[in-house]
Amino acid sequence: MPRPEHHIIQFTIDGREVRAIEGSMLVDAAKHGDVEIPYFCYEPKLGNPVGACRMCLVEIEGIPKLQTSCSTPVKDGMVVNTQTERVRHAQNGVVEFLLVNHPLDCPVCDKGGECPLQDISFGWGLGRSRVIEPKRHFVKPLALSPLVAIDRERCILCYRCVRFSQEVSEDYQLVFADRGADTFVATHDGHPYVAPFSGNIVELCPVGALTSQPYRFRARPWEIEGAGSICTLCPSQCNVELTVRDEKVLRVLSREHDEVDDGWLCDKGRFAYQSIHADERVTAPLVREGGELREAGWERALEVAAGLAEHKGRAGALAGGQATNEEGFLLARLMREALACADIDSRAGGPMALGLTQALADPKLQAAVPDLEFAHTVLVLGCEPLDDAPILDLWIRKGVRRRGVKLAVATARPSALDASAKLVVRYPPGGEHAFLVALAAALAGDDQAAGDESNNGARALASLLTTGGEDVVIVWGERIGPAAAQMPAIAEHLRLAEREGAGLLEVPAGANGRGLREAGVLPGAGPGYAELGHDAPIGRDAAQIAAAAAAGELTALYLLETDPVRDRADRHLWNSALARASLVVAHASVLTDGIREHASVVFPAESYAEKEGTVVHPDGRVQRLRAAIGHPDQVRAGWSVLAELGRRAGHELEVPTSAAAFAQLVEAVPFYAGLTLDQLGGRGVRWPARELSSRSFPAPSATPAAEPGWVQAGAPRPEPSEAAGPKRPENGMLRLGTYRSIWAAPEVELSPALHFTIAHQQVELSPADARRLGIASGVAVEIAQNGRSLQGIAAIRTGVPDGTAFLAEGIAADSANVLTEQLVEVRKA
Amino acid sequence: MSPYDPGEDVIAVQRAPTSGAVRGTYRAFGETLRGLKTTFARIVEGTTTIQYPEEKTPVYPRFRGRHKLHRFEDTGLEKCVGCSLCAAACPADCIRVVAAENTPEHRISAGERYAAVYEINLSRCIFCGYCEVACPFDAITMGHDYEMSDYSRSDLIFTKEMLLAEPIERTPLRNEGE
Ligand code: SF4
Ligand code: SF4
Ligand code: SF4
Ligand code: SF4
Ligand code: FES
Repeated sequence: MPRPEHHIIQFTIDGREVRAIEGSMLVDAAKHGDVEIPYFCYEPKLGNPVGACRMCLVEIEGIPKLQTSCSTPVKDGMVVNTQTERVRHAQNGVVEFLLVNHPLDCPVCDKGGECPLQDISFGWGLGRSRVIEPKRHFVKPLALSPLVAIDRERCILCYRCVRFSQEVSEDYQLVFADRGADTFVATHDGHPYVAPFSGNIVELCPVGALTSQPYRFRARPWEIEGAGSICTLCPSQCNVELTVRDEKVLRVLSREHDEVDDGWLCDKGRFAYQSIHADERVTAPLVREGGELREAGWERALEVAAGLAEHKGRAGALAGGQATNEEGFLLARLMREALACADIDSRAGGPMALGLTQALADPKLQAAVPDLEFAHTVLVLGCEPLDDAPILDLWIRKGVRRRGVKLAVATARPSALDASAKLVVRYPPGGEHAFLVALAAALAGDDQAAGDESNNGARALASLLTTGGEDVVIVWGERIGPAAAQMPAIAEHLRLAEREGAGLLEVPAGANGRGLREAGVLPGAGPGYAELGHDAPIGRDAAQIAAAAAAGELTALYLLETDPVRDRADRHLWNSALARASLVVAHASVLTDGIREHASVVFPAESYAEKEGTVVHPDGRVQRLRAAIGHPDQVRAGWSVLAELGRRAGHELEVPTSAAAFAQLVEAVPFYAGLTLDQLGGRGVRWPARELSSRSFPAPSATPAAEPGWVQAGAPRPEPSEAAGPKRPENGMLRLGTYRSIWAAPEVELSPALHFTIAHQQVELSPADARRLGIASGVAVEIAQNGRSLQGIAAIRTGVPDGTAFLAEGIAADSANVLTEQLVEVRKA
Repeated sequence: MSPYDPGEDVIAVQRAPTSGAVRGTYRAFGETLRGLKTTFARIVEGTTTIQYPEEKTPVYPRFRGRHKLHRFEDTGLEKCVGCSLCAAACPADCIRVVAAENTPEHRISAGERYAAVYEINLSRCIFCGYCEVACPFDAITMGHDYEMSDYSRSDLIFTKEMLLAEPIERTPLRNEGE
C-alpha cells in the first residue's frame, strides 16, 4: 500500500490556531500548539487507539460529552478546550479512579522517578482521594518470565502490554484474565511469557507493573546517564540508549528511530549487555606460551603479533560482523598495504563476482526499512527474519497487519512469518539456486524453464509478485550464497530499480556485513566496491583461505572479532587451518573454541558499548557508535591496535584517532563523499538516498555477473553444488538444512539473565519422518554423517518438508558446522 | 596662568585640626579605659571559656549533626528501603545508595528492596538536613554529633554500618529553656 498523503488543516486548541495533519489524533495534534494532554494507553506504535484509560479527555465544541483525544481524529475547524473546569474535574476524577487500587509504593517501585503515573498524578490529580475502602491485593512481586517481573497491584489496566503481545509481536501470550474490577494481566495457564521480544513490554508499561528482572533496583533515574549508540548484535542495528551508572551498563532502552527499529528491541539486544561486564570476558592481552594462552602485557602481545611482517604475502584475514567500518577498513589496509596480502573476507555467503556485488548494492535497487510497511508485496527469500534480523520480522508483521501488505515466504525452513503469509513456497535446503532460476524464468514468462509447478511453486510466486502491485520489496538472506546471482535478473523483471518504494533488502550474516563490504573487506574489491588495480591480485575468499591455510599455503591468520570454527561452515577444515597456521592473531572478547585452542595472540576486543566508529545498516544507513563507558581493564580500541601493527610492520597507517580512520574511509569510498561524523549524528544517513552518492556509485565492473566467483588465476574451485540441485534423500537419510538461532551468540551465553535461552542443538524434523524414525518431540537424537556425529534434541515441527532435517549452527556445542555433506542420518540416541 | 596650574582637578584634602596635648592624652588613655570598662564589668561574672575537648557545648535538640540510620525497634529490620530519595534531595550530592532485592531468606528491610550500599561523604555534606526531610520512612535523621574530624578524607565516607551503629553520644543536649 502506498504511503498515505498528508493534508494540513487548521483547528483551535485553547484559543490558539494550530495547523496539524488531518486525521491525526488530537492528543498528537495538540502538541503543535504546545498543549500537553496527559495519557496512558495511547501509543501509536501499538496500532489503533483503544481508549482504555480515559486520561486524555478533552472538550470539543459541538459535542456535548467529553471526548478521548487519543481516539478522536482532528478535523478542520475543530475547537478544542483542555483547560476548562469540566476537563479538569474529569482529569482529577480519572486520576482518583486509577489510584483506587494502586498501592502507591513508589519508594520501593522500580519505576519511581520515571513513571508517567507519578507525573500525571502530580500534574493532573487532586492530591487526595476519597476512597477509604481496602485496595485489592495480589502476591507480589511475581516473575512473569525470567526477564520480566510483574506487580499486578500497580497495573492500571491500560492494555499496552497485551496489545503488544497480540498485535505487534503476535505471540498471543499475554491476555487480560477475569473481568471488571478483578481483571489482571496474565498468560494462558500462567506459563512464563517467553518470547523473542518480551522485554519491550517493560518499556511500554506506564507504571511499575512490569519491570526488568536484571535491572531491578539497580539505579534511579537521577543516578544514571543515558548514552546513545547502536546495538551491533545483529544486522537490525537498532538504535539504543545504554543506561550507565558507575561506568557500568545496567540497561538497554530503545532510542526510537522510525526508519530503523520503530522503537522496538529484541531480548538479545535488550539483555545481552550483561556480557560486557561478565567475568569470562577477555580484558587483557593473551599470548600462547607452552600451549596455553597466558596473560601478557600489551608490549609483548604486540611484539608477537608484529611477527605478521614475516608472513608477507602468506597471511589471510577475516573480519566478524561486529567489527566497525573503520576496523574493517584498517584491517584491509594493513593486509593489502603493509603485508601485501589480498586474502581478506567478511562475507559468509561464499564467492561472489565483483560485478554481481556491485549490481546488488546499486543504490537504485536498495529498499529502505520503512518500505516493508508500505510495499504492495513483500517477499522473504532464504532467510528467517526472526533469527537473522529480528526487528525486520516486526516490520513485516506491521505491514501485513496494518497496511495490507501481501507477504510471500520462500524459504527452505519453515518461517515464523508463514502464518501471516499469503503464499508460502518451500524449496529443499540447497535448492535456492534451482528455485531462483525457476522464479526468474517464471517472471520472464518462460513456463518451460519454470519447471513443474506442483514441484516448486515458482509460478504462483511469480504471479503474486507481478499482479500484486508495483512496489515489491524482496528481503533476502546472504545465506542463499551463490544463488544470489539470479537476484539482478529477478529485480530486472520486477522493475525494482524504477520505483521509490520497491527494492531489495539483503540481510547479511554479520551485523555490520554491509559496512565491512563497503569498507573493502572483500577478496576482490577495494573500499567502495572499487575494482582492484591491475597490479593488485584478487584474493581468496573465506572458504579458500581455510583450504589454503590447511594446505600450508597461508601461514598466518588474522581474526578480527570472529571465530571461524564457530561462525563458519566446515568446522574441521577451519580447525586444521588454524592448527597449521604458525601465527594466529585474534581480537576477541570471549575465548570461543577456535580462539582458545589456536590463537597465538588474543587482543581484548571492545564491546559495542566501548566502541567509537560507524556501521552500515543493511539498507545503507551509515550509523554511528558512541562510547558509553570507558575501556575496562587493559582493553584498547581496535583501530589503535591495527594502526600500531601497521607501524610495527613498517607502514604508518596515519590514524591518530578513530575519527581520522573515518575520514580516510570517506575519502576512499566515493559514495560516502562528504559524510562527516556530525552529519551522521544520532540518526545516521542513508547513503543510497543521497543524490550525490547515487551518482558516484561505481559503474558495474566488466566481470560478468553470472560468473560464480571472484575471478582468480590458477585456483581451481569446486562447482557450487547448488547448480546441480540438492540431492534426493536416499535409504532413510535426511537432507540437511541449517539455521542460526537468534540466541546463538557468545554474548547470550555470557549474560546470566539469558541463560535460559542458550541455544542447544535442536533438530527440526517433519512429523512424518519423526513417526518413521520413532522419534518423539524432546527426545535425544544422534545425527551422523561420514563417521562424524552430533547429539541433539528432536523438535517436531509441522511445515518442515518430509525428508529434511534442520540443525542449528553457530552454537557452542554440537554445532551443525561439523557436517559437510548434504545428507545426514538421524536416529534415537 | 602658570604652566603648573592643575586647574579644577585639584582635590583639597581637609584634615581635622591636630589635637593639643590634653586632647591627645585623653585619646590615648581615656578611650582605652572606656573600652576596658566592659571587660572589667564581666570579670565578676566568672569564666565562660569551655575547655574543649574535655568539655562540650550542649546543642539544641534541632541541631543538625552527623546522620543516623534507624532500625525498627520490634523487628530489627532496617527502615531504609534504598529508594535513593535522599540522594536525589541532597544538594551536595554526597549520598550514594545502591539498592538490592530482599529475599525471604535474606531479609534486610521491610519492603521489597533494601540499601545494599549506603554511603554519606561527610567531607562534602553541608548538614542541610534535606535528606531527613526527603526520606519517606524516617530512616535517616540528623543526629547531634559534630565531632567528625579525621586524618584522611576517605575516613569521612560513612558506610551504612557506621550510620546504623548506635553512635557514642559525645555531645550533651541543651535542656529545655536553657
Ligand atoms: S501491566 Fe502495565 S502495560 Fe500492562 S496493562 Fe498493566 S499498566 Fe498497562
Ligand atoms: S534486533 Fe538486533 S540490533 Fe535490534 S536489539 Fe536485537 S540484537 Fe540488537
Ligand atoms: S544533610 Fe544535606 S548535604 Fe548532608 S547528606 Fe543530607 S541532604 Fe546531603
Ligand atoms: S534513607 Fe530514606 S530516603 Fe534514603 S534511601 Fe533510605 S529510605 Fe530512601
Ligand atoms: S490515552 Fe486516551 S483513553 Fe487512554
